[in-house]
Amino acid sequence: MKSYKKLIQPYVIWISIFLVVPMLLILLYAFTSQGNDVMTFHFTFENFIRFFQDNVFLGVLIDSFRIALITTVICILIGYPAAYLISKMNVKHNGFFILLITLPMWINMLVRTYAWIGILNDNGVINNILSFFGVGKVHMIHTEFAVILGMVYNFLPFMILQIHSSLAKLDKSLLEASSDLGATPFETFKKVIFPLSLPGVISGITLVFLPAVSSFFIPKLLGGGQLLIGNLIENYFVSTGDWNFGSAISLIMALLIMVSMYLTKRLDKNGGDS
Amino acid sequence: MKKLIQFKNIVKNFDDTLVLKGINLDIYENEFVTLLGPSGCGKTTLLRILGGFLEQDEGSIVFDNEEISKLPSYKRELNTVFQKYALFPHMNIYDNVAFGLKIKKMSDDVIRQKVTRMLKLVSLEGYEERNVDQLSGGQQQRIAIARALVNEPKVLLLDEPLGALDLKLRKEMQLELKKIQQEVGITFIYVTHDQEEALTMSDKIVVMRDGEIQQVGSPTDIYNEPENEYVANFIGDSNIIDGIMKEDYLVAFDEHNYECVDFGFKKNEDVDIVIRPEDIDIVKKGKGKLNGKVLSVLFKGVHNEIIVETSRGSHVDVTLTVYEKKPIYNEEAGEYISANNFYLDIQDLEELNDDDIIARADAQAWDAESEDYLSIANIEYDIKAEAGTYPVTFSTSKGTKIQVDIFVVKQKYVTDEKKRIGIAAFDFFTTLDEIQESQALDTDLRTWADAVSWNLDTDEDIEVRNVDYDFDVDELTPGKYIVSFSTIGREFKIHTTRNATVDTHVGIDFDPEDIHVMEKMGF
Amino acid sequence: MKKRIGSKIFLGGMLVFFYLPIIYMMFFSFNSSKSLSKFTGFSLRWYEQMFANKTMLESIYYTLLIAIIATVVSTIVGTLASIGLSRSKKILREIVIQINNLPIMNPEIVTAIGLMLFFTSLHIEKGFFTLLLSHIIFCIPYVMLSVMPRIRRLDPNLAEAAMDLGATPFYALRKVVIPQLMPGIVAGALIAFTMSFDDFIISYFVTGKGVNNISIMVYTMSKRVNPTINSLSTIIVLFITVALVVVNLVSMRKKRYTNRSYRHVFVISAIVLGLGIAGLNALRGNASSEIDPIKEYGCNTLNVFNWGEYVGEDTISGFEEKYNVTVNYSVFASNEEMYTKLLGGESYDVLIPSDYMIERMIQEDMLKKIDLKNITNYGGLSSEVLNLSYDPKNEYSIPYFWGSVGIIYNSETVKKEDVEKEGFNVLKNPKYKGRIYVYDSERDSFMMALKALGYSMNTTDEKEINEAYEWLKELKENNPVIVTDEVIDGMINGEKDIAVVYSGDAAYIHDENSKMQYFEPLEGTNLWSDGMVIPKNSTCPLLAEEYINYNLEESVAEGNSAYVGYTSSVEKVREKLANNEFKGNSAYIPRSGYEKDEIFNYNEKMKKVLAELWIKVKAK
Repeated sequence: MKSYKKLIQPYVIWISIFLVVPMLLILLYAFTSQGNDVMTFHFTFENFIRFFQDNVFLGVLIDSFRIALITTVICILIGYPAAYLISKMNVKHNGFFILLITLPMWINMLVRTYAWIGILNDNGVINNILSFFGVGKVHMIHTEFAVILGMVYNFLPFMILQIHSSLAKLDKSLLEASSDLGATPFETFKKVIFPLSLPGVISGITLVFLPAVSSFFIPKLLGGGQLLIGNLIENYFVSTGDWNFGSAISLIMALLIMVSMYLTKRLDKNGGDS
Repeated sequence: MKKLIQFKNIVKNFDDTLVLKGINLDIYENEFVTLLGPSGCGKTTLLRILGGFLEQDEGSIVFDNEEISKLPSYKRELNTVFQKYALFPHMNIYDNVAFGLKIKKMSDDVIRQKVTRMLKLVSLEGYEERNVDQLSGGQQQRIAIARALVNEPKVLLLDEPLGALDLKLRKEMQLELKKIQQEVGITFIYVTHDQEEALTMSDKIVVMRDGEIQQVGSPTDIYNEPENEYVANFIGDSNIIDGIMKEDYLVAFDEHNYECVDFGFKKNEDVDIVIRPEDIDIVKKGKGKLNGKVLSVLFKGVHNEIIVETSRGSHVDVTLTVYEKKPIYNEEAGEYISANNFYLDIQDLEELNDDDIIARADAQAWDAESEDYLSIANIEYDIKAEAGTYPVTFSTSKGTKIQVDIFVVKQKYVTDEKKRIGIAAFDFFTTLDEIQESQALDTDLRTWADAVSWNLDTDEDIEVRNVDYDFDVDELTPGKYIVSFSTIGREFKIHTTRNATVDTHVGIDFDPEDIHVMEKMGF
Repeated sequence: MKKRIGSKIFLGGMLVFFYLPIIYMMFFSFNSSKSLSKFTGFSLRWYEQMFANKTMLESIYYTLLIAIIATVVSTIVGTLASIGLSRSKKILREIVIQINNLPIMNPEIVTAIGLMLFFTSLHIEKGFFTLLLSHIIFCIPYVMLSVMPRIRRLDPNLAEAAMDLGATPFYALRKVVIPQLMPGIVAGALIAFTMSFDDFIISYFVTGKGVNNISIMVYTMSKRVNPTINSLSTIIVLFITVALVVVNLVSMRKKRYTNRSYRHVFVISAIVLGLGIAGLNALRGNASSEIDPIKEYGCNTLNVFNWGEYVGEDTISGFEEKYNVTVNYSVFASNEEMYTKLLGGESYDVLIPSDYMIERMIQEDMLKKIDLKNITNYGGLSSEVLNLSYDPKNEYSIPYFWGSVGIIYNSETVKKEDVEKEGFNVLKNPKYKGRIYVYDSERDSFMMALKALGYSMNTTDEKEINEAYEWLKELKENNPVIVTDEVIDGMINGEKDIAVVYSGDAAYIHDENSKMQYFEPLEGTNLWSDGMVIPKNSTCPLLAEEYINYNLEESVAEGNSAYVGYTSSVEKVREKLANNEFKGNSAYIPRSGYEKDEIFNYNEKMKKVLAELWIKVKAK
């Protein structure tokens, strides 16, 4: 099999060019001020100073992480019981249910998000139903609620699938062993099932938190001008054309995400040890 | 001893297959009970029903005078050692062993004491802080036992716990398990498919098959007095022979009567006879109850395992013609041509065509210089539908010719009306090279001669086991030879410390009390 | 039992949550009107339109084509790389896995801008190639993620055994190793396909030249959400459901996935997708006329970059037929987006930016002079839109649409006097708190604030600008919803009572919902115009001039204006429509000659200042 070793060489070159260089470019832009040419860059910390000196930007950053956090927590709260119930079904139903959950993911995310506008509108489906029952209008669209709902809607399947796969991998004999040793079903859940499904929860968190922090079309469509960090980046790249500042914001976001992911993983390890 | 567990008419269905067909079984205090049987016999299902992981469809389980069928597993006073141990991977050894005690909310000191004591019992003290994956299979096994025993259950259930260990470790653990059981003095219910394991450890063996109990008894009972062929076969090696009970204390097989110690059968009843290999002795030819030829000798450590054939199976002899292939050279055309004589079954005549003849005669022509193959342009022959010799001529377009013979024959076959066996084979030709280059000559001979054997009544195939011939392959010269094909005869497996030489003739001997006569199993 | 019912309700509720938008979408794809909230009757018109809509078919075509190529390439490369990786030294393996994780563990937007910067720095023109390459780049790590665990479980001696028996390494790979990895490879390919099929963010940043996938099309279509997208999604849902049912039936019959059944699935899906692509390609193909464009203009493809929903239904196809050429038509959502894309290395032949952007591009020497000799319809243009300050002699630009910015309000819920008396200040009127749309544009927002304060909208005075900033912050207290083109649908559906809009959009809104009235504040407003220009890097300037001239033809200009609702720059057309389609629609004819109205001037420094201030207003 030694001969297959050579297969990796072209790929190493490939990722060096297409994955590493782009990241280095972001770094380069983030630490330079705008010049007219690649050659006329000036090294500077100005972009970062500008970001951290301004409460507005910090506010956007905090908002993004806060909303992503709320979204993630809701996804766990709904996703865990759902995944648990699904994993308890028999094989036939189980597969069908997973299919039902993956099916909507085949429809364009934007299209599904658009559909929510029509549902949440002041004159939309929900309010029509409410007024039919004589309940007054509830304002939902263009609120933080709508943004979080849109994110939960789009990212919940990832959470369910991750947790489900870790629950499905669980050796059934461990549950029997726990019961055999006198643990009630609840104790078994607390002491065996939950700790062993934590890796699934962690990767679910990654798959929800990551896109939730950086999403820009969900706040744009459902938030009515709600500005999150993703919108800020889009704004600076697409509208303002200030790529240096945009790169700096991306870098700050990426670093913060890395730190939070690292902390989450630590959490798993500590949880596993105790 | 007190009855601890009673299974009453336990029935269990899985997807419409009956895996337990009404099990009745009593288990006593302080017993080492083994449920023995092949996979799929229901032994594990029975254990899981007792453990509370499955619910029976019918019947009841009484445990310590209490009906426990409806009790969930966590309320039953028994613990299980699982097949693959089921240690919790997210806990260290201490937490694994302490799991049950913590559930019972015992104080920390008590838990620590008990765990330490238990780890000592399984000789793993000092391993408390290790992780599960840092232990070897045998160590994990001991932890699983410790984790179960620390709860001081009245019964320990063990589901093939040694299956994943290697042979040496297994033997060690067998002894250790027995030691632990004697030390803690509780009932062990042990599931295995390994009869040796069962014989070594158990106080009581329950032999199961297809959801039914075949026999319950001590290891010696089961070994020496199997109740039927199945048990005899499953427990230890056995020679099992179809026989007829002539009268009390007299049984017949292979047309001879033998004294035995069994009685109470009907006159001339068909029975199974078991003679354990270690009960048979090798003696000089003519000095024993039977004579036979030694087929094989295997050294098994303490004893030799010798197979002796006392009567030959059905056989058929055919003629093998060995020749050397010499091509004919046509100088004018610069071509070679070659072909063989061949035998043809009279039944195959109808479907014979030119291509068949070329193939069967292996007719080939080639250019002398380039060695390229040339096509056989012409075939001349005249065959009648009766046995005889018919010439056939192959020629190329340039007129290079060769003539060979086709022998039209009837297949030789022999039927043995008594044993209801038929056996058949053809005479055949081969070249010297083919025989000398053969890597598995017996198999090749069977193939060339198309030797087959079948049951006259059911038409089922019977193995053509033996191929005999009296030539030496290395010094073979062209000519005619007899090859004999035969089915298995009466073979006895013998475990003895004596030695014997393959292909010599010996006598075998056994005592009347070594003959165990059993009722035929009803199917 | 109670618990079971509880869990059934829970799971059922979750499914309702998942499927509500989809059912909603499917339901309204059969609506006879454009409304997305009131069902007015069953019709298949959006399905018909979908198959007639070239942009949409093209985006489906590109989505499928790119998804397939990216899946095939990334599956092959990813599988081989995984096999190679498993034989490499540990340190190299660790490094490669870490780098591979970059696109997985980083937010997509970071990968997207990284690739965008990469292509731009190398001056690679963005388009089909960059889009495909990017998809391959981000798909490979996912394929490897799915294949690698399989390799780890593989007996390392398998390939050796095969080679021991005389197989070449390649033969062993093909016949022994890869079949063993098949489940992982298939799963990886499926993930790659899904990722590529559904990708928006990365595609959005790396595409160009009118190559759009479905996501980008939907995003840029936001001008007027077109129910055809619901039809498309409905078809996708049905297609996938059928495919899944078929696959499940087949696998149920076979029980086990063998290599052969994998091959069958591959072959079948390849045939289906291939047919789909061929069909789409045929549908988007163009009819031909007698003209030989290469001889006449030196090229036969024209790249047009315009605002979303800013052209008549038959304009493009008409041009293609008449001149026997292909038009790659792409859209942008803001002048700045267009400008950034040009800077990013994309090249077009015709652009339709607004006045101040034209001014900027002239200043930056990005535009080509237009030979007015070739614009034979030049004479038909209204005098109001000619020789304006941004391009005094119309050397570089030919007006396309023009209009004003004003207030549209619901005449039933908003007092006419309030609007007319207060002008832009009505937006701060607490009576209408929470019932306001403001357009998400720093330019228009500051214009509105400065005008309300009585200043020039082109001021550079720091004090005045600060006052405007404060004005906007106060406006923010009134809880306006800041939107872009959703304002159109929102106002038509009466979601809000007051909105700041462009006159053309107001004309369309009024047309759909006559309760909505347009008003141009007396403190003055922005008069704008969008013009057709030819960028310096155009590869087909002669055909571009032909296209500009074509858009001034009366029938074409009428088609554009009637469909979009914006005021045509062609005088006869404007008059005709004002007396027919848009009769009584005050928004169709913008105010002209009012002294307080201004045209926007380009000022690089101010633009940045305003942009940042506007971000701060929004973030509050």
